[in-house]
Amino acid sequence: MLRALHLAIIQTAALLVPASERAEWLTEWRAELWYVNRRATAFCLGAFCDAFWMNRNTPAPPTRRWFSFESPLKCVMFLAALAALSTLLTTVLPGEPETTTSRSSYLDFSLAFALLGYFFGLLVAASPIAPLRLGKYPVNRYAPAVSVRLLRWVFLVVKMALVVLIAQCGALALASIPPLAGWSMLLGQILGFRWALKDQRERCPVCLRLLSSPTRIGDPSQSFLGWYGTELVCTHGHGVLYVPGDSMSWYEVQQWQYLDPTWNNLLS
Amino acid sequence: MFPAPYVAIYPTSCQVEFYIGIIRAMAIEAKLSHTAAIILQALDAGFVYGFSVMETTGLPSGTVYPALRRLERVSLIRSYWESQAVADAAQRPPRKYYRITRAGQATLAASQKRYPLLNRLFPVPVQENA
Repeated sequence: MLRALHLAIIQTAALLVPASERAEWLTEWRAELWYVNRRATAFCLGAFCDAFWMNRNTPAPPTRRWFSFESPLKCVMFLAALAALSTLLTTVLPGEPETTTSRSSYLDFSLAFALLGYFFGLLVAASPIAPLRLGKYPVNRYAPAVSVRLLRWVFLVVKMALVVLIAQCGALALASIPPLAGWSMLLGQILGFRWALKDQRERCPVCLRLLSSPTRIGDPSQSFLGWYGTELVCTHGHGVLYVPGDSMSWYEVQQWQYLDPTWNNLLS
Repeated sequence: MFPAPYVAIYPTSCQVEFYIGIIRAMAIEAKLSHTAAIILQALDAGFVYGFSVMETTGLPSGTVYPALRRLERVSLIRSYWESQAVADAAQRPPRKYYRITRAGQATLAASQKRYPLLNRLFPVPVQENA
C-alpha cells in the first residue's frame, strides 16, 4: 500500500520533468527507492525538488512551428497577407448600409493621412505599456552601412503600418458587437505595436533575422557586482544581444555588440 | 575586436565543447557550495550512486539529486547506467552511477583547500558501496 503511494508521489513529480528526460528520471528514482528502508515518504517528496530543478534547467527541445517569423521577408509577407485578407473581409462582410459605406470610405486614400497621424499618436500613447526604446546599438567599425541600418527602421515602419491596417479592419469586423466596438481598435493597435516593438528587439540589426540560442547569464541575487540577464546570438554571426534581467541605472536597456566578420563562419 | 592571428584559428566543435567545459568548471569552482563540495567528496570516496551519497552525507534527497544533476551539467561528474546483467545478478534494479571527471577532481582539490575539513569526512576510500 505504502509502496504504491511512494510510486504515485514519484509519478506525480515526474509530470514536472520535461518529456525528453522523464523516462530516465523515473527509472533512476524508482531504482533509488528500492534501497530506502526508512522515511521513504520524505525521500519521495524530495523528488519534487529534483523535478522542479529539471523543469527549470532542461533546455526546451526545438519546436516545429507551422510558420516561422525568423526571416524578415516571411514576416512582412505574412503580415501583408493577413492585412489583405482582413481588408477583403471588411469590404465583403454583409452589414448595415451605413456601416458598409463607412467601411468602404474608411479605406479611401484620403484617410491614409489621418491614419498616419493616428498611428503616431498611438505610438506615443502606447509608450507606458511598451517602452519605445529598442536598445543600444553602438555605431563602431563593425556596424553595417547606413543603408542597412536604415532598412531596419523601414522594416519596423512597414510592420507597424501593416499591424495598424490589420487592427483597423479587425475593429471594423467587430463593429457589430457593441461592447467590443469601442475598445477593439485601440486594444488591437496597442497590442500590435507592442508585438512589433518586441519582435524588432529580438532581431539582428544587420540581417533582421530573429536571434537564437537565448542563454541566461548570472544570478539575480548577485546583480550588485555582476551582470545578469539573457544573451542572444545571431546565427549568421553578426553579433550578440545582451538583455538585462532587471532594468538598472547602468544597464537600463538591451545592448547589441557587433562581431567582426570572422565570426560568421564560426557561428553559421 | 581580437588580433587577427587568434581569430583566424577556428576551433573544432570538440575543442569548443572542451573549452566550454573548462570555462564552466572554472566558473563553478569559485561558486561551489559547501553542500556540492561534500557531495563531490562523497563521490570521490567511492559512494557512487544517489542513495549511497544520501546515506553517507545525511543530506535529504531533495538536495542530493538536484546537486548531482547540477554537477553533471557543469561537467564535474559523469553518469552512466549499470548493465542490466549485473543488476539482475545482484537481484536489484540497475543503478545510475556517478563518476568524477578530471575537471571535477581539480575543483574538488580547490574545494578541499577552501574547506580544510572536507577530506576528513570520508577518510577511507570505499571501492563499492552497496
